[in-house]
Amino acid sequence: MQVKVFAAALATLMLTLCVHATLHAQRTAADGARALEGGWVRLDTSGSGSFGGLTANFTRAVLTPDGAAKIKPQRDPDDVDPDNRPHKAGEPYIVSQGRCGGGGGGGVEPNSAALFVIPTRDEVLITREGPGGRHIYTDGREHPPLSRIVPNGAGHSTAMWDNGDLVVDTIGLTEGGVTAGGWRTPETHLTERYHVADDGMHMRITFTWTDPKIYAKPHSYFFEFERLPADSYAFENWCDSGDPLQRQSVVPPEQLP
Amino acid sequence: MKARIFVAVTLIGALTGVAAAQTPNARDISGYWELTYMDSQHVPRAQLVPRVTRAVLEAEAQKDFKAVRWCNILGMPAIMASPRPLDIRQTEKTVVIAAEINAATRYIYLNRAAHISKDIFDPTTNGDSIAKWEGDTLVVDTVGFDPNKGVNAIPGGGFRTANTHLVERYRLLNNGSLLSVRFTWTDPGVFRTPHTYEFRYARLPRDYEARLPLNCDPFDETRTAFLTARP
Repeated sequence: MQVKVFAAALATLMLTLCVHATLHAQRTAADGARALEGGWVRLDTSGSGSFGGLTANFTRAVLTPDGAAKIKPQRDPDDVDPDNRPHKAGEPYIVSQGRCGGGGGGGVEPNSAALFVIPTRDEVLITREGPGGRHIYTDGREHPPLSRIVPNGAGHSTAMWDNGDLVVDTIGLTEGGVTAGGWRTPETHLTERYHVADDGMHMRITFTWTDPKIYAKPHSYFFEFERLPADSYAFENWCDSGDPLQRQSVVPPEQLP
Repeated sequence: MKARIFVAVTLIGALTGVAAAQTPNARDISGYWELTYMDSQHVPRAQLVPRVTRAVLEAEAQKDFKAVRWCNILGMPAIMASPRPLDIRQTEKTVVIAAEINAATRYIYLNRAAHISKDIFDPTTNGDSIAKWEGDTLVVDTVGFDPNKGVNAIPGGGFRTANTHLVERYRLLNNGSLLSVRFTWTDPGVFRTPHTYEFRYARLPRDYEARLPLNCDPFDETRTAFLTARP
């Protein structure tokens, strides 16, 4: 009789401990989700004043010989001025075909458009100001085999909460360049850590690329963000390929001495 | 004996708590939702005002065709009629609807009681949406549509203009397996009476994997020839 009571009490204690541990983990995730939710805009922390300058001071990727051999020049497919030569003042030239996005959900590295993070129980949805979004699964699922992923700009992402930070793992990205001299293939793993500062107004995303075929050591850098004001709202990016102004030429003006 | 009763009560309490945590929340519409074939849309004909003549409707159809031809973002109400699943995510502050078609994501604000001032808000394909819960029904109120962007056509007839007002009522049915959305459009320049219809979306399994958005290339000559040729 005493043994039975003891066993039952022990089982209850263990169950209670499990429930407490689960609730504690949920609180941590809930706190992280509450902090991360909302609109964010990327900051120019180096004061460079240009997109190229934003990453100019990042530590360059350390590549393996095979990785270095993969690097190819990158070109915007919408760029109709591939030689990038300087144009004389008064010489008109066309810079774009006027090709609008057409359904893409954006890539993994945010640009100047605002970024919106919507954390829910099973998924964190990250959206911008146009179509689609990144679907980051937090329900414990694993990546499907690479053979079942169509490589794309957002890849396949799963995530977990770690002390209030969202830690995202992504594979299945299209082959191409990575910030600060890196390269990626569908096999490459990208880990992103979303960390919101204690003030709740600033966020850092730390990107870490790992692929033993490409990188001699993990390639890591971070972007800083500022929270959008509480009364702000998402804009809607509009682009019309049928508008001739999209293909309007540029005429460089005379430069002041 | 007392110890046994205590243990049993504790166990029942713990298990009840776990079960409660798994009960569907009638006020959480997060998930992947899909219109089913044929039986998910109940759309009566809209009653239009006399000024909406055949010529007006033809002009609107031409605008919509141009938007499709050039892969413009579609906007409301086309996004809600997507042939692909909608990813609806709800937090305390917002409901966000992301589609797998060429439509800008919808942002519905639960933390705002009034629309953005017309002096500030630039009209868009989706408009400005605010919402509140009335019991287990999410009531979404939208204004601020741009009649010159996206596809304007409204199911059942008519089209959206700068003066159009939309109210949507979202409600879970069948223990959370169905999402009913009743759309009511009012616009004195288009509809003689408020135009109401209902869509019902089926909840997809929790392991659903979002697919790549459908691509749209305005410079695809084969596509353009298909769209512009007479059958």
